[in-house]
Amino acid sequence: MQRAKPFAGGLGVSPNFFFSPKTGGERGFINSFVIRKHLVLYSPQRVAEMSLDLNKVAGQIEGMAADLKAEQKDKEAHLSHALEILRLKSNELDSLRKRIENSKTTWLVAGITNELTGSHKSRECPSDFAVIAVDGSHIDVDRHSAARCCLINIGSVVLRYGEKPDAALRSQPALYASRQDLTIADPLGSGEQALERDLLGIKRAVAEAEALAELCEGIPPQLPALALLDGSLIMWGLGGQAYPDYVKRELLENGFLQALNKIKEISQKTRVALASYISFPRSTDVVNALRVALCPYDPPDCDRNCSRSVPSSKKVCEAVDGVQDSAIFARVLGPGERSATFISRSSVVQKHYGDNEVRFFYLKGDEEIARVEFPRWAEERGLVDLIHTLILDQCRRGQGYPVALSEAHEQAVVTGSDREQFQYLVELALSEKRLPTATSAKSRSKKTRWI
Amino acid sequence: MSEKIGEVIEASTGQFVAECYELHSPPPLGSLVKTSDSDVEIYGVVCNAATESVDPGRRPIARGKEEATEEGIYRQHPQLSKLLRTTFDILVIGHAQGDELYHYLPPHPSRVHSFVYLCETDEVRRFTQSLDFLPILLGTKAVAVDEIASACLRQASCAHDDKRTFLVKAGKEVAVLLSGDLNRLNAILRRIRA
Repeated sequence: MQRAKPFAGGLGVSPNFFFSPKTGGERGFINSFVIRKHLVLYSPQRVAEMSLDLNKVAGQIEGMAADLKAEQKDKEAHLSHALEILRLKSNELDSLRKRIENSKTTWLVAGITNELTGSHKSRECPSDFAVIAVDGSHIDVDRHSAARCCLINIGSVVLRYGEKPDAALRSQPALYASRQDLTIADPLGSGEQALERDLLGIKRAVAEAEALAELCEGIPPQLPALALLDGSLIMWGLGGQAYPDYVKRELLENGFLQALNKIKEISQKTRVALASYISFPRSTDVVNALRVALCPYDPPDCDRNCSRSVPSSKKVCEAVDGVQDSAIFARVLGPGERSATFISRSSVVQKHYGDNEVRFFYLKGDEEIARVEFPRWAEERGLVDLIHTLILDQCRRGQGYPVALSEAHEQAVVTGSDREQFQYLVELALSEKRLPTATSAKSRSKKTRWI
Repeated sequence: MSEKIGEVIEASTGQFVAECYELHSPPPLGSLVKTSDSDVEIYGVVCNAATESVDPGRRPIARGKEEATEEGIYRQHPQLSKLLRTTFDILVIGHAQGDELYHYLPPHPSRVHSFVYLCETDEVRRFTQSLDFLPILLGTKAVAVDEIASACLRQASCAHDDKRTFLVKAGKEVAVLLSGDLNRLNAILRRIRA
């Protein structure tokens, strides 16, 4: 690919670009210059070659930054307000719990366990322990390919610390190509769903949990151990009416939850805890509990009291708009501390999860606030402190992110060139069997870009 | 028969690369190793060793600031030993077919995944009875070729009963081959002084 040539004299862009209506003024000029200095290093010929015209987008990006800056002050005020409500309501937990039970909100509200503002230090790390982590990636069904198939790659890691340190890193791909593999069929009817896109992502999450459960079987009974997954334990994609019941049964009850139950059974005879780690969480469950606390209506009912068709509604809860849970706990928690535990009241959890009801706490690591989710049985077995301690230890070894998860990711990752090799192997296998390897005209036109 | 120390991962007529089975344990620079291509045994001199990440896109970072010992780093991060590997490069200087030794390049390179063995003392002595491999060693385009040649001769001398005699003989041979380059000759002679 030809390198961009520095443009010797003058600027390679029209002067109009420096005075965008949104930014304007001197500061706008300087901001424009900062973004556009990257563009002036390209000669006009090079700029013309790019299919995305960054000159046209630069102004819009600056506009976005200016809007965010303007919102900053409001955000600070909302955050202070939210912190105040948090402190006030920490002594009125019973009434808040009742309000939450009776409320009908359009947003997800966290369930309160026994405290709101508690912050807990981690315990001392056990001298000998194990951490197991699983991550996955997949190659989706290629609509333009001659052979219909998809691939799920599961990366797993078992790390032993203490007297006998050891590590086992493994990657296990699975090809799904048969008709049964590529569809989820209704056992009692004639309906079926293709395993691709979102559903394939869900299937992958199930495969990760199953792999994790299998690895937990190998843990000695007396050894404290943490089984870790990346992302949320809540199968958001299977909530609501997105998929028919037979799909939910296959992937949730007989899939993901069955794997969690297996880990629960293993945990009854060992000291294995299960958790998942969400980096940079954008959730607002706890802030939404503060919205319920603020609501002047009893019980809070968003649709009835504050719908857009009701002009006289007073949305008092707007006072905490834009505040995320992580912002709150960044202020409340000290380094290495975790928050109180909260309950996920999402409908899929409440309807299907039973003993595996997802609970969570926020953790202040060295680099970020993370959300750690775990099943109710882990809290009931007193494993929350172990989860807290081991995750913090993992983040310290992993430069801010649990090292077991980043190594599992490395084992699972499928790069662009892996994908190409995979497609090549598929075509090779087909052509060796004298099967047609024709691909679609659209796919060919993308690969050979002619004028 | 000595234990295998590595496995060929790249092979060409004049050299091959092997990965060690044990991290951080390559054979010493200049030592004589052998591998095989079914009926032909291929002899070579270790000319380089490296320890690096298995995945070329990942690089090790310093982890020992809080550790008292280097072993402590590997204990605290047990995955490190699985993510690094040690490889060594070998210059081919001869081969054997049956009982006959030849101090020139073999007809075929070794096969990938052949085992690599460190030559035992008698084998080193037998192979270095003749110094006919020196032209290949001194004429190669490898980096620091004189270091490698000196290391090879020092290692080989340990297999002979009279080290000094061997090194003097080697020195004379090198002098003939490098008569046109006194600087190189002196550099090598200084490195093989007994």
